[in-house]
Amino acid sequence: MIDFARVQKELQECSRDVEASGIKVAPKSDNLGRLTGTIPGPVGTPYEGGTFQIDITLPDGYPFEPPKMQFATKVWHPNISSQSGAICLDILKDQWSPALTLKTALLSVQALLSTPEPGDPQDAVVAQQYLRDYQTFVGTARYWTETFAKTSSLGVEEKVQKLVEMGFPEALARSALESVGGDENLALEKLCSG
Amino acid sequence: MEGEEDYGVSEEEEYFYADDGDSLDGLADNDDSALQWAPPKVSATKVITKESLLAAQREDLRRVMELLSLKEHHARTLLIHYRWDVEKLLAVLVEKGKSCLFTEAGVTVVENLDDDMPLTSSSTITCDICIEDASGDNATRMECGHCFCNDCWTEHFIIKINEGQSRRIQCMAHRCSAICDEAIVRNLVSRRHPDLAEKFDRFLLESYIEDNKMVKWCPSTPHCGNAIRVEEDEFCEVECSCGLQFCFSCLSEAHSPCSCLMWERWSKKCHDESETVNWITVHTKPCPKCHKPVEKNGGCNLVSCICGQSFCWVCGGATGRDHTWSRITGHSCGRYKEDREKQTERAKRDLYRYMHYHNRFKAHTDSFKLESKLKESILDKVSIAEERELRLKDFSWVTNGLNRLFRSRRVLSYSYPFAFYMFGEEFFKDEMTDEEREIKKNLFEDQQQQLESNVEKLSMFLEEPFQQFNQDKVMEIRMHVINVSVIIDKLCQKMYECIESDLLGSLHLGTHHIAPYKSKGIERASELSSCRNTKLGSTDEYLPCGGTLECDRPSGSGSSDDSGCSYRKRAKKEGGGFFDLNLPAEIVDRN
Ligand SMILES: [Zn+2]
Ligand SMILES: [Zn+2]
Ligand SMILES: [Zn+2]
Ligand SMILES: [Zn+2]
Ligand SMILES: [Zn+2]
Ligand SMILES: [Zn+2]
Ligand SMILES: [Zn+2]
Repeated sequence: MIDFARVQKELQECSRDVEASGIKVAPKSDNLGRLTGTIPGPVGTPYEGGTFQIDITLPDGYPFEPPKMQFATKVWHPNISSQSGAICLDILKDQWSPALTLKTALLSVQALLSTPEPGDPQDAVVAQQYLRDYQTFVGTARYWTETFAKTSSLGVEEKVQKLVEMGFPEALARSALESVGGDENLALEKLCSG
Repeated sequence: MEGEEDYGVSEEEEYFYADDGDSLDGLADNDDSALQWAPPKVSATKVITKESLLAAQREDLRRVMELLSLKEHHARTLLIHYRWDVEKLLAVLVEKGKSCLFTEAGVTVVENLDDDMPLTSSSTITCDICIEDASGDNATRMECGHCFCNDCWTEHFIIKINEGQSRRIQCMAHRCSAICDEAIVRNLVSRRHPDLAEKFDRFLLESYIEDNKMVKWCPSTPHCGNAIRVEEDEFCEVECSCGLQFCFSCLSEAHSPCSCLMWERWSKKCHDESETVNWITVHTKPCPKCHKPVEKNGGCNLVSCICGQSFCWVCGGATGRDHTWSRITGHSCGRYKEDREKQTERAKRDLYRYMHYHNRFKAHTDSFKLESKLKESILDKVSIAEERELRLKDFSWVTNGLNRLFRSRRVLSYSYPFAFYMFGEEFFKDEMTDEEREIKKNLFEDQQQQLESNVEKLSMFLEEPFQQFNQDKVMEIRMHVINVSVIIDKLCQKMYECIESDLLGSLHLGTHHIAPYKSKGIERASELSSCRNTKLGSTDEYLPCGGTLECDRPSGSGSSDDSGCSYRKRAKKEGGGFFDLNLPAEIVDRN
């Protein structure tokens, strides 16, 4: 059985310093076995500014068995599947220790965003790109962050629309946006200069 | 002597005996070991039964405990990590030092237990796992210093045991690789799940068999419950106390001088009759109408099925019946006929080659299936002969001869699959030129034929109705049997030498290992006594530098001779009849 008393304590502990860490964990329903974690994209990375949601499922043996975590937000990263959101991280597998918590695990996931390990990839396509064409990787990752991990700002379609209204062809506007990671100002600069 | 002609003993073989009985006896006395079939009483290969498993394991444990002054559970953790290879463990010790040896295996030896935080019933700790307070007697501090409540430890142990990780249960603290003390695991788990604690103990015990490359379960079915431990060479053939003889390396029937890989292919080939299937596909074609296989008869490419359908052999398509040698009415196919024929030729050649070896292999295996019957009838003859008032009373030469016959038939039989692969293209296509292959093949076949003819000769002598013969005639048969037996033994030896040095030895591929020739047959593993005195002996016996070993030095610090820490070959035998069970014969000999 899941140790619900501990999960409760973890949730309390986590909400206590949500300001400092930015990490949130909330149950999906009354059942504490399924939760949603939220981590901010680390500053100075292509994920900066994004908010990433992670689906958490607790196995019966929790905390003696590792929680199952998977990105619900689409993310472009060598160790995270761009299709399923599956995460390749040792502490979620054989390096799990019952002394770790959901918060520490999410912090590790956040750390993974800042320090990808293309040598042990979950997504081979992303890892290839990371190793061979780092600039394009950064662009794509930023574009994905912009597109999928930012709820408040304008959607990509709206930005494309704006640029088209300014008189640029749609295909060109789209590729310019993608190459600069979705930043409409940079895209405009690029379109004007090129 | 007319007998000699009959028995076909050639001139060159005469030198093995002289005609008078005295010198024959002389030969028998001098070369007793070659003629008598008594296997050695104490084999280096051991049978480990359920009862003796503990003792077997304890021997290695004891040795490591003594050498490194360790507690049993630390020694076990080390041994499990190094797969019960004491030599390897010692090599790591010498090369990398004690602390490295320990860290790699997850052994934490605390010199002085932390006195700052003694756990007493009055003190309380907060368990980082369940985030509850626990009193001192409800919590346990592992040797690495990490302390959690007993409930959490127990839960952790249960999950790990159920995951099958009994042999390496790590501490619960994050990134702590220390292996938990087995006594604590046993103690805590047995309070909640006595069955699981037993399972845990069994896993630890069986690690000695399952993680040990020198020990394997006997492959008998139904399982006899035994395991076999070999010494030094894992490429050998053994006999379990249950009577099963097997190849220790691949656990199938004994098959030397065939290598395990060759034997695996051969048995598969024989079983699935793939060659027959191959023959059918080459020599028949399915009728396009009823799909039955139709054999080609005659030279022309028009074949007809019993259903009445005619079709073209080359492309398999249905045709009309009118045809000439070159053309079939209502049909034109541009398929190149020769291509097909080449393929057929090749398949046929491969098949014939296989059949050649298989027939000989089978002839010999078939005869050793009749061995017990033959033995019976010959022993009957012996008892009749013994009743008679002959000067010769000792008929052990008959049983010795029989054993030699059985032994050599096996060698001969398995030499055919060996030759099939040795001179075929499957394994060694690029290892030798066709010319080399031909020379080697002739060399080997020559030996094979010599062996074969002598084996048949021996068989013939043993089948003589010697129980009816007069004294002189019996003596003569006896001479022949002994003589041919000696020749056969030498020929077998020569064949193995040839395989070892001239055939496999000259190749680059090192994947074929052949179990060595044992003149006396496959050695029966001897029982490992289970009631051994496992009391710790004197450490000095093992350590020339006296007392405990202080080899905790960084790696690459050179020879250990100067430090006075050298290992010496330990005493191999500890007294008469007291054979040393577990010890690989020697520690690194630096003398
Ligand atoms: Zn606890
Ligand atoms: Zn620890
Ligand atoms: Zn057995
Ligand atoms: Zn084998
Ligand atoms: Zn037909
Ligand atoms: Zn015809
Ligand atoms: Zn045709």
